[in-house]
Amino acid sequence: MKKFIEITYRGITIAVICLTASIAGLAQATPPPVRPKIEVKPPTPHVVIPRKPAMPASPGENSEKSIKVDRDVNITLPCISRGSLKVTGWNRNEVRVFVDNGNKFNFTVSEKSPSTGEPVWIKISGVPGRVRYGPMSECLWGEDIEIDVPVNASVSIKGQDITSRIDSIRKAEIKVVGGNIVLRNIANGIAAYAGQGDITVESSKGSISLESTTGNILVFDAGPSDIGDPFRAKTNGGAISLQTVDHRQLDVSSISGSVTYSGNIRSGGSYNLRTLQGSIRMAIPEKSASKISATYGFGTFRSEIPINISTENISEGPVKIVGGSLGVGGDAIIRLSSNNGSITISKKKP
Amino acid sequence: MKENCLEIGIVQAFMDGELPHDQIARVSDHLERCDSCAFMLGQAEDEASLVFSALDREFNTLVPTQRLWTKINDSIETQNGNRPFWQKAQAFLATAFASPSLVGAAGLLIAVGAFSLVMLNREPIPADMVSVPKSMTVPVPDAEPIRVLEPVVSSPAMETTADEVPRIQRAVYRPQVQTAALTTVPERAVTALSNGYMEGEESYVKTISSLARTVEDQKDSVLRPSERVAYERDMALVDDTIAKMRQEVKRNPRNESAKQVLYSSYQNKIDLLNSVSQKEELVASLR
Repeated sequence: MKKFIEITYRGITIAVICLTASIAGLAQATPPPVRPKIEVKPPTPHVVIPRKPAMPASPGENSEKSIKVDRDVNITLPCISRGSLKVTGWNRNEVRVFVDNGNKFNFTVSEKSPSTGEPVWIKISGVPGRVRYGPMSECLWGEDIEIDVPVNASVSIKGQDITSRIDSIRKAEIKVVGGNIVLRNIANGIAAYAGQGDITVESSKGSISLESTTGNILVFDAGPSDIGDPFRAKTNGGAISLQTVDHRQLDVSSISGSVTYSGNIRSGGSYNLRTLQGSIRMAIPEKSASKISATYGFGTFRSEIPINISTENISEGPVKIVGGSLGVGGDAIIRLSSNNGSITISKKKP
Repeated sequence: MKENCLEIGIVQAFMDGELPHDQIARVSDHLERCDSCAFMLGQAEDEASLVFSALDREFNTLVPTQRLWTKINDSIETQNGNRPFWQKAQAFLATAFASPSLVGAAGLLIAVGAFSLVMLNREPIPADMVSVPKSMTVPVPDAEPIRVLEPVVSSPAMETTADEVPRIQRAVYRPQVQTAALTTVPERAVTALSNGYMEGEESYVKTISSLARTVEDQKDSVLRPSERVAYERDMALVDDTIAKMRQEVKRNPRNESAKQVLYSSYQNKIDLLNSVSQKEELVASLR
């Protein structure tokens, strides 16, 4: 009996303790959370913000350096972020760089000539510094960037938004995201790409490849330096104008721009001029001799020079074709194609 | 045996290592000089080895002695003294709840406490969901033809403001609507697949499809607004030409000129798509 009383007393004590603890716990219970008021803003329309070019964080300064090089030096400019670039050939075996209101730069000699010991491959890059819209950059920038190189030099340039002018060197390779490119007196080859800008080539020779996304391409007085050097010009939305281009292999195409060719038809040459929507005008000497094929859709075909037509299909439809020959005995081939524009062959004035 | 020879007890103690250090040295010196004592030591060692080998199993069996028990008990008490509070409490509770009556009382209290906790923490039902008159009926729209529907991806514009009264969200299904820019190339590629290809056309279509998938992600970031407009214009022009030429070739399969223009247009499209990739590569190389 005494044991039963003891057990009961112990049980009641524990029950009271637990009950007290439960009530105390409930009293401490936090109230249900109030939902925070979050204002959901309406979505902003998707706007493509153009990427800003890397701009200097601090005002620039003038700097000038020069280095003695081999006469056949290759010069690489891996990045030019902004400015007006002018590369000019001179009759000295020396590279001189002048930057007006820009950053400092360095020459890096990548290779030396085993015979003369002079640099045959140098790189010109800016001193790394903080830019406003990007990470640390080795890009060269300046209001005016003037580079004098040996006339036999080969130059390779990549740039963002620069206006470039290259004159009197052996070979030029240039790629820019935006900005116009002018090349003059290039002796042995051009490869130029402009994302958004015009390309102008004047008095140059060699293999020429020009490409622009939305810009125009103008070429005056170009020709091969070796037999078989090709000429290629391509733009998506710009016009192409070629005057006195003596290459025998021409491949010219535009999607929504016009194509103009004024020059001679070389023996054994191949001239392909295409556009989807635009006119093709070709001015060639009256006594040119070649085979010709003109394909057009919703435009017209007209020739001031008589054509000996061999095949013709000008019935109603999206594609019309005229094939024949100009002159007598010509082995050059002219292919003209405009799906939605006129094709005109005119006599070139002497 | 010499008169100063060692006694057998001393030899046995020497062998067992029970002699003090000074006596061990003396016994060692004597054993070096006295052959009989050395012989006696050898005999004792032989006997010991014989006995130990015979009783090895018994010797290796651990028999706790009273001293060992004392040490074990001391260690337990020391450990008990170092135990943390919660372990002591746990031990106390384990002892206390050994009684069935205590277990029953505690279980009852825990059940009552849990029930009280659940009842007190129940959220009040929102006013608009408390009572719905049975007379209210929701108008049901007329049945529409069955269509294959895809769930609408929730967009920020569709989200409700957070300060509204929370409601039960129902899944909303609508026909998937895609922008023309996203579907232009793949849809046309699929159309061409279903319509069959001319000779050499399939490779063009496959190339364009793979390029288009890449370019779709790039063009927004690579092309500037004016370039983007020109790109879309040129793409539309190329697509229009492809469609017209395909139609013409389908109508007149012998029209080689239409085929040439068609292939040329495909090439234009590839060039157009490549121009975006080319620019992306240039921009990336300048970073």
